[in-house]
Amino acid sequence: MPGTNTLAKNAVVGPGVDAADKAGPFWSRLALPGRAGLLVLPALAFMVVFYLYPVSMMLQTSVEPAASGATAAKAGGITFQHYGEVLDSRRMTASLERTIRLSAISTLITFVIAYPIALFLVGARPWLRTAILVFTFASLAASIIVRNYGWLVVLADGGPVNSILIAVGIIEWPLRLVYSEGAILVALVHYAMPFMILPIYGALVRLTPSQWEAAQSLGGSPWTVLRSVVLPLSMPGVFGGVTLSFAIAASAYVTPLMLGSPASAFASQVAAEELLVQLNFPRGSAVIVLLTLCTFAVIGLYAFAVRRIGQTHVRG
Amino acid sequence: MFADRSYRIVVGALAALGLAFLAFPVIVTVVASFEGSSFIAFPPTSWSLKWYGEIGSINRIVEATWISFQVAFASAALATLLAGLAALAIVRGRLPLGGALATVLASPISLPMIAIGMALVQFFIAIGVAFTWWSLVVGHMVLVVAYPLRTIISSLLLAERSQEEAAASLGASPLTVFRTVTLSQIAPGVVSGFMFAFLISFDNYPISLFLVRGSLTTMPIEVFNYINQSFDPTPAAFSTVYMVVLTILIAIAEKRYRIISLALPR
Repeated sequence: MPGTNTLAKNAVVGPGVDAADKAGPFWSRLALPGRAGLLVLPALAFMVVFYLYPVSMMLQTSVEPAASGATAAKAGGITFQHYGEVLDSRRMTASLERTIRLSAISTLITFVIAYPIALFLVGARPWLRTAILVFTFASLAASIIVRNYGWLVVLADGGPVNSILIAVGIIEWPLRLVYSEGAILVALVHYAMPFMILPIYGALVRLTPSQWEAAQSLGGSPWTVLRSVVLPLSMPGVFGGVTLSFAIAASAYVTPLMLGSPASAFASQVAAEELLVQLNFPRGSAVIVLLTLCTFAVIGLYAFAVRRIGQTHVRG
Repeated sequence: MFADRSYRIVVGALAALGLAFLAFPVIVTVVASFEGSSFIAFPPTSWSLKWYGEIGSINRIVEATWISFQVAFASAALATLLAGLAALAIVRGRLPLGGALATVLASPISLPMIAIGMALVQFFIAIGVAFTWWSLVVGHMVLVVAYPLRTIISSLLLAERSQEEAAASLGASPLTVFRTVTLSQIAPGVVSGFMFAFLISFDNYPISLFLVRGSLTTMPIEVFNYINQSFDPTPAAFSTVYMVVLTILIAIAEKRYRIISLALPR
């Protein structure tokens, strides 16, 4: 394998070349033939053909004139008619609004529940920490269908929540808990938990003991230190967990399908329905593009806000 | 990290509540799988193991699980290979814009999953290979490549370059250095990346939904359809088996390769 050869050679002479590379103009650092950099090509070629091209094809479909009729097939040009249709449809705009709203609420709840777990993990005994991490990891990897099924059972008419409420006399007849926005919210929080716990824990373990102790030795109570030192220092982990949880919730498809009803459809469901049932590719693509834009906009706004708060924090 | 008593009690109690929330549906599902009647009730009215014998009756679960296993294995292996080469190029080849390239390669996980399925099915129909085994593998590869990419980059950044230099200065050929030193340094990243990719592919529903048809079907699709059409506790028995196997696998992998610490973002 010539590729591997050059790679290893490159790896061996690495440090010496490093300094020279950094000194040169940026084009001197471009991957030259025979260099290890070429190893990126198979992955890049694969992703261009099977990811970037198909996605750009979908973008193009969403602005093509004429929905499904063959009349204007080769008319060419760009139209925003499909986006107009989506924004005119009460059901579609409602699904977009619901997706973003429930994703934001579920992310907030996930953060509130996950942060104490991450804090606890940092101070826990090693065996307990490993046990909790393996459990968290197993629930991250467990099938989403299996996990949502668990909530179908928990919230069922004869499930434990209704049984407990009836047993303690709060209600007389089972409540209809499944197939609602509330059920979707609970399952979204549950699904996102490991994605919030792990990055926050990852940020907290990197704090040095002196960072925990310094502020405390100056007389701060644990709560003051937590708020003014630990929380700001763990922000990189919080940021990662929040953006990941939000993105996962906003692109949720299986969860609202299993625990919701047609009246609580998410944007992904509406898009899939356009494609699989209505066979309207342009409109389905338009919904997905709008959903992606909304998701990125919210994450961008959040990143902007975090940066602004960080700056005022430093200045003040 | 604080010795303060009230702090420990409050954080411990909140963490216990949070973990109880995480465990609750798991425990309920396991208990429900031992239900004696045909309907889930809580607590179960009678107990039996019969639903474990019924797992095979979930539609085409046996064929579907076999297909899922093959697709997950193929897509995880190929994705790990592509990601491993790309990670070497990005970290060791000192590519200009390497970080940006890694972001692009990993970007499918931040798109709505059905967007990938929708885009790919249109593309596969256009080139005439839709609904084939390989098209399903390719669809899953697009999604899972991000995981081995992240874990292998992490382990390359952690690896000691001096070990490679030592081997080379002792007269090892570049190929031997790569085989004996570099490969063993990145082994944990390769294993955990492969495992992640396998599990994500094995579990995928939204991409498969667009890429399967007829006899080409996957485990999540069949289980989902079964849950939608009947309310007996068979899926609970299936879920219990699934979670037990998974937890054992992860515990072994964590003990041997510390996969969790590699998966933590840095």
